[in-house]
Amino acid sequence: MTSPLVRAVAVARRFGDVEALAPTDLELVPGEAVALVGPNGAGKSTLLALLAGALEPSEGLVEIHAAVGWVPQRPAHYSRLSARENLELFARLQGVRDARDAATRLLERFSLPTAPRPSGELSVGNRQRLNVALSLLGEPRVLLLDEPTAALDPGQRRRVWDVVNALRAEGGAVCFSTQNLEEVEHADRVLVLQDGRIVSSSMEEVFG
Amino acid sequence: MLLRKDLTVLRRSPLLLGALLAYPIVIALLVGLVAGYASAKPRVAFVDEEGLPPVVSVGGHRFHIQNVIDAVAKEVTLVRLSPREAGRQLASGKVVATITVPPGFLDELGTTVKSPHLVLRTVSGGLAPRVTQQVQSLVYQLNRKLQAGFIAANLEYVRLILHGGDASFIGRKFEVLGLDHMEQQLDALPQNQRVAKIRTFVRIARLALAQTGRALHATANPIELTQPKTKGRTWVLSAQVQSYGIALTVTFLALLLAAGAVAAEHDEGTIGRLRRGLVSLGQLVWSKVALAAVVGLALGAAIALVFGVVVEAGGVSGGEPWPRLPLLLVGVALAAGVVGAAGTMLGALAREARTASLLAVLVVLPVVFLGLVPRGALPVAYWVSEFLPFAHAVKWFGAALYDTSPWRTVGIETAWLLGIGAVLGALARLSVRRLAT
Repeated sequence: MTSPLVRAVAVARRFGDVEALAPTDLELVPGEAVALVGPNGAGKSTLLALLAGALEPSEGLVEIHAAVGWVPQRPAHYSRLSARENLELFARLQGVRDARDAATRLLERFSLPTAPRPSGELSVGNRQRLNVALSLLGEPRVLLLDEPTAALDPGQRRRVWDVVNALRAEGGAVCFSTQNLEEVEHADRVLVLQDGRIVSSSMEEVFG
Repeated sequence: MLLRKDLTVLRRSPLLLGALLAYPIVIALLVGLVAGYASAKPRVAFVDEEGLPPVVSVGGHRFHIQNVIDAVAKEVTLVRLSPREAGRQLASGKVVATITVPPGFLDELGTTVKSPHLVLRTVSGGLAPRVTQQVQSLVYQLNRKLQAGFIAANLEYVRLILHGGDASFIGRKFEVLGLDHMEQQLDALPQNQRVAKIRTFVRIARLALAQTGRALHATANPIELTQPKTKGRTWVLSAQVQSYGIALTVTFLALLLAAGAVAAEHDEGTIGRLRRGLVSLGQLVWSKVALAAVVGLALGAAIALVFGVVVEAGGVSGGEPWPRLPLLLVGVALAAGVVGAAGTMLGALAREARTASLLAVLVVLPVVFLGLVPRGALPVAYWVSEFLPFAHAVKWFGAALYDTSPWRTVGIETAWLLGIGAVLGALARLSVRRLAT
């Protein structure tokens, strides 16, 4: 049996009196892609943030056995810094040896502007590409993507799925949330969340 | 790395950077103006109802009235006005006080046995205590000048008693025999025991009266104040104002900057990325504390420099901060860091930049006002301010700039600031933890 790269055991999260995610178990094994679907407020972003270590669980445990890249739903970068400066800063914070080189490669890979222009002035699509690019710093084996293709044109969406497929091919794992049911074709498993609980984990159940 | 990022972000915020650059200049200019105002001579009306002649003679000494007034009135500008005009200008605030020489002043002065009166009227509040002190000083200086005349007049009477001659007293003329001539008169009398006793008294009286001059000088000045010139530092209003100016600026900006930086980090979502094992909570708090300290240091230095230049240009004494600038800047960095910890806490509690800015402004004003309350005025406010950084920053800066030996105060206030900083830092860490998770 393949050991999981990320494992959540009865992980739950409350915000005050609101239960954003009920105790949930999930494993991400090498080579697989898991799609999270469900209405707004179902708990998809909370689950991804808990798996990424960006949120502390109220209960349960998240075990991480590989480098994890996280694409939050809302682009998270310093708007006064340029795309390159953001990439270099987070690369240095992650301990990437040649931060400048890593930034250059990601700028080229995602066709991001190299001009020293504040990233807050970039188009919505460019900001989302920067958001994805930041998650690939440190060459993660696991990617957690929260609606990664929102605001991207078809060409850029294809580029994101190319990244996902390449990672899976190299033995990595991907978990993504989406509101676009067509995108679940990129997944091996689909988890349907509603009111903070996984209500279905079957492709057939979802698509009849 | 985070500090460098924060400074880059700050540099890229033109409006904020402009305000940061302009703020110290404006504050320093205001402080300089206040210092200049504090050192300016207030206008005082001089009302001469007596019609003083240019030259007055007291006890045989001649005084040029205006010269005497000019010589002693160093702290006020005296302007000669009519009684009516003086009253009008006092009411409108154009003069802060009036000094009136009432009719009969010279006659009383000329007797040398009765003290004439000057009448002082001041506005209430404001500069009144200061003007009263200055006029008291003026009258004291005048009295000292007049003493010489009075003593000379008194010694003239002693000379008459000793040597005899023509004299006048309260307008009446008479001839005095004098002790010298009295002894000659005694020689002409038949010598007996009673005459011998009188002769002995006359000799003792002559010896005693010979010492009268020194005795009169000593009586006039039982205690003389001498002030040796030392290289000590001075404490003037301008120095206090400068300390408050720097403390106010540092408190205001460090609080706002740190609060805004943390809240902006949350607004942009980057705090979530940082918390994924890239940066600890402690490092996050420290980066904001360091940002506040660095910017506070730069602003404090700018204010101190501009203030120094303004003060030098204005010729205000007691406000020369140059030799103590390095010590001052250590205190500025420390105080800014402590306030930065408070700002970090507020920013984390507010969660978004606009609320954080508003909260910081709302908090900074009472903190500053509490720090301005004197101990005797409202003890509760004083003790509350003791647990806030502003009051300690003011004491630190004041001691660093103007105390001859600042080390004790600097040590005590450093301990206070470090203690308050430790508590605020711990609270900031808790708040950021709540914000990040």
